[in-house]
Amino acid sequence: MNFEIDSIFVERGCADTPLATRVIRAAATRVPIVHIDDARELAKPDPNARDPFGAGKRRMIIARRKTPFLMACPAGSSRFACCGYLVLTLASNCPMDCSYCFLQEYLADNPAFQVYANFTDSFDELDRLIRSAPDKHFRVGTGELADSLAFDSMTGMSRDLIEFFSTRENLTLEFKTKTDEIENLLATDPRGRVLVSWSLSTDAVFRSSEHRTAPPSARIKAARVVLDAGYRVAFHFDPLIAYENAQRDYVELIDELLDTISPKNISFISMGGLRMTPGLRTVARRRFANDPMLCGEEVMAPDGRYRTFTPLRLKLFSTLAERFRNCGAEIPAYLCMEPAAIHERVFGTVPPRPATIGERLASS
Amino acid sequence: MKSAEVETRIRQVAGQRRLPETHLERWLALDQPSRARLLEITETLKLRTGQIVTAIDTLHEIAVREQTTIAEILDRPDIRRTLKSAGSTPARARALIDQLRTMRFPLLRAMQSRLAAEIAALKLPRGIEVVLPHELGSDELTVSIAAHSGADFERMLAALESKKTALMRVIELLGGKQ
Repeated sequence: MNFEIDSIFVERGCADTPLATRVIRAAATRVPIVHIDDARELAKPDPNARDPFGAGKRRMIIARRKTPFLMACPAGSSRFACCGYLVLTLASNCPMDCSYCFLQEYLADNPAFQVYANFTDSFDELDRLIRSAPDKHFRVGTGELADSLAFDSMTGMSRDLIEFFSTRENLTLEFKTKTDEIENLLATDPRGRVLVSWSLSTDAVFRSSEHRTAPPSARIKAARVVLDAGYRVAFHFDPLIAYENAQRDYVELIDELLDTISPKNISFISMGGLRMTPGLRTVARRRFANDPMLCGEEVMAPDGRYRTFTPLRLKLFSTLAERFRNCGAEIPAYLCMEPAAIHERVFGTVPPRPATIGERLASS
Repeated sequence: MKSAEVETRIRQVAGQRRLPETHLERWLALDQPSRARLLEITETLKLRTGQIVTAIDTLHEIAVREQTTIAEILDRPDIRRTLKSAGSTPARARALIDQLRTMRFPLLRAMQSRLAAEIAALKLPRGIEVVLPHELGSDELTVSIAAHSGADFERMLAALESKKTALMRVIELLGGKQ
């Protein structure tokens, strides 16, 4: 997949790093390379751009990250059941452009596509984490503030990450993506420590809302290929959007998935309903004024986000959960950003304590 | 009516009603039949500022979701019926806005009606109130008892006990079960 970028800015002190060298080589003469002293101003929104957030996506910055790489998932809250996911921020923003994406609000003041030249410094943080809790197993993902694989053909980050994680028994790395950019993965042995997860949407959502992503069928096919190459796979049905015929379409999507990948080979699934703060909804509707998926039956929920009204949202969760329950293998599942009571309604059990997904991955 | 004349009249209405600039811009940005039809209805029903704002927002969202135009929505038979119905002008204006909200949230409205009917059918004694979550934004059902004596309280608990199955059904409906 080739994403378009207008220019690449390399901050002083980063030009000779392996990451910058790879990116510059990959960009060749197609994209102008500009060397700059300080990237901070360029990371901010361009006030003259018609769509500052969209323009930010086309401006790649290679810079040092000066704050920690590892953090708890920003979606975590005492209101919600937590899956124990840890986030490794190696890049910020994403070349794809989903109309519902929370980054439109989360990165509104900082929209440039930033890749951190010193990303291997994160390995020290991970080693400290392991030392702090040697009996635990952690699931660490790179796909929260960026797509894990969208620019991997340029950055080659995945190879370094796989090499590191493949030698750490207490860690599982999760690449989360909406692409089918898996070439680098096929050239590296994950030794069972790496999981690739895809966000899956129906064709209707893909066509309407997920701009520049790979089609859902291509994502499923890519999952099959990496599974055969020794990776674990998982799937995020998030956000579920309750448009007309959604229930039918999501069941068909699951059928397509299970026709391609045996349920016993799916490490876990997650589900999450479309959720938008008022600020996100405003910016999303401004940027994608004609997307019908942004005009569903969302109401203000107690957590201050617009969500599909509860019976409809839970009906959709339950339908998908039932389809997976009936597939012949018990697939671990969780809900993202939903209270424990909703989890219990959908799955019939209280949600497992945080980090359970990570521990299950260690023991499976 | 010519396009320039429609624009002039929209600006006049917006000025008289102190319509927010953003909504005036959105009104003017509509296709010609849509902005003319909305103007006609606004003038006929003497819509107030808040009603115009709600109408523009709601119509826009319906149009996006159904991939149609506002003129086509306003020409639907049920909308026409409301516009021509008996009753005062303010009553017809309120009915129109309510109808647009129902069109915007058809499944929510249907579920609210169904739940309200289930609760009404319980025929609970005065003093017991069953409250649905606002706009069904959560799955939490609130049941309150206002008692004036121990006997009163016992009577109400017994009434609730006798309706337990039906109440649990309401809770299940809130959780998405059919």
